[in-house]
Amino acid sequence: MQAGNLEPEVAFFNASLITDVFPVLAAAHKALLSKRRESLTTRTLHSELIYNYSGSKHITESLKRCGISDSCSYVLAARFDASMDEMKAVQEIIKGQEIDLEELAGRANQAQIQKHYKISSQELGVSTLADSIICRIAARDAL
Amino acid sequence: MTRLKVSRMEIEADKEDMGLVLLKQGAEARVFESTFVGRKSIVKERFSKKYRHPTLDSKLTLKRLNAEARCMTKARKLGVATPVLFSVDPVLHTLMFEYVEGPMVKELLLEFGTNGIVEERLQDIATQIGDSIAKLHDGGLIHGDLTTSNMLIRKDTNKLGEVIDKGPLKDKAVDLYVLERALISMHSSCGNVVGYAGSYPCHMMERVLAAYRKSSKQWCSTLNKLAQVKQRGRKRSMVG
Repeated sequence: MQAGNLEPEVAFFNASLITDVFPVLAAAHKALLSKRRESLTTRTLHSELIYNYSGSKHITESLKRCGISDSCSYVLAARFDASMDEMKAVQEIIKGQEIDLEELAGRANQAQIQKHYKISSQELGVSTLADSIICRIAARDAL
Repeated sequence: MTRLKVSRMEIEADKEDMGLVLLKQGAEARVFESTFVGRKSIVKERFSKKYRHPTLDSKLTLKRLNAEARCMTKARKLGVATPVLFSVDPVLHTLMFEYVEGPMVKELLLEFGTNGIVEERLQDIATQIGDSIAKLHDGGLIHGDLTTSNMLIRKDTNKLGEVIDKGPLKDKAVDLYVLERALISMHSSCGNVVGYAGSYPCHMMERVLAAYRKSSKQWCSTLNKLAQVKQRGRKRSMVG
């Protein structure tokens, strides 16, 4: 699915790693910036979005963890500049029920997030999960 | 992400270009206020120095930019409240981070000077400062410019949100010494306050150190060193 030939191109997230849309938007900001500068690390803009969200430098690993697999039943679909028709097409690809973005926080898997992003309990004392994730997304290339 | 969200983001991106409000200009960087996908943010831009060789200049700037981003996130991992880092742009040499709403510790202390001290607040702030510094030092980070204007109190939670504005590396004892000097110099700037209120910066430092001693594992050697540093001053070397 991430081969770069999906039409319309969409990014599918494993939504249990997402507590809030803001980190996704931060990752999208970063992806758009590299697109504009023609310095995408991955093959397409939408795979870049998932790669950025993962906060790691390992592309395959990011797509595996933050992207979806066959067993995945909870998916967030994201598309840049989507038209209504395109969103309809996406709805057809996913066989399931659409839920509100507000439910992200309640459905997220905290243990999995903490493990993936290596967030210690010490850090959670001063920060929310979403904030910690944004910091990792932003600082990845500085490390 | 719906179409609505994306278009909102585009608008924000456009605003970013136009809506920069210059807050401060320093020797190394300019600080702007802006928005990042809908949230109020601070943009810190390290500008190039024309007197340096271009290659050296871009290398140094980039190195410092990355170092600052690293320190901010590392401090966070150690449990020290720092502003949330939103993005790092290696091309424009900018950092974007969260706009922390709330007064500087300096402003709060000055207010205590004029309006009288709220004992518990003072104790609370001092404890938090001591704790945070201890966490930084135990994690191997040295702030370099610990002053009361580099610390903010978050409005909503009354918690300390430190601004990491890293200066040149010095040692831990010097870090504490700088804080003490900052407190004392502030004390003299509001010197017209009489009595107990006039000497509260010194009390404040004692409390910060007490909290530091409680939470740092290496307090003993650092505090011994602090005594030495006090005698020699910040810069004078002990050798020769």
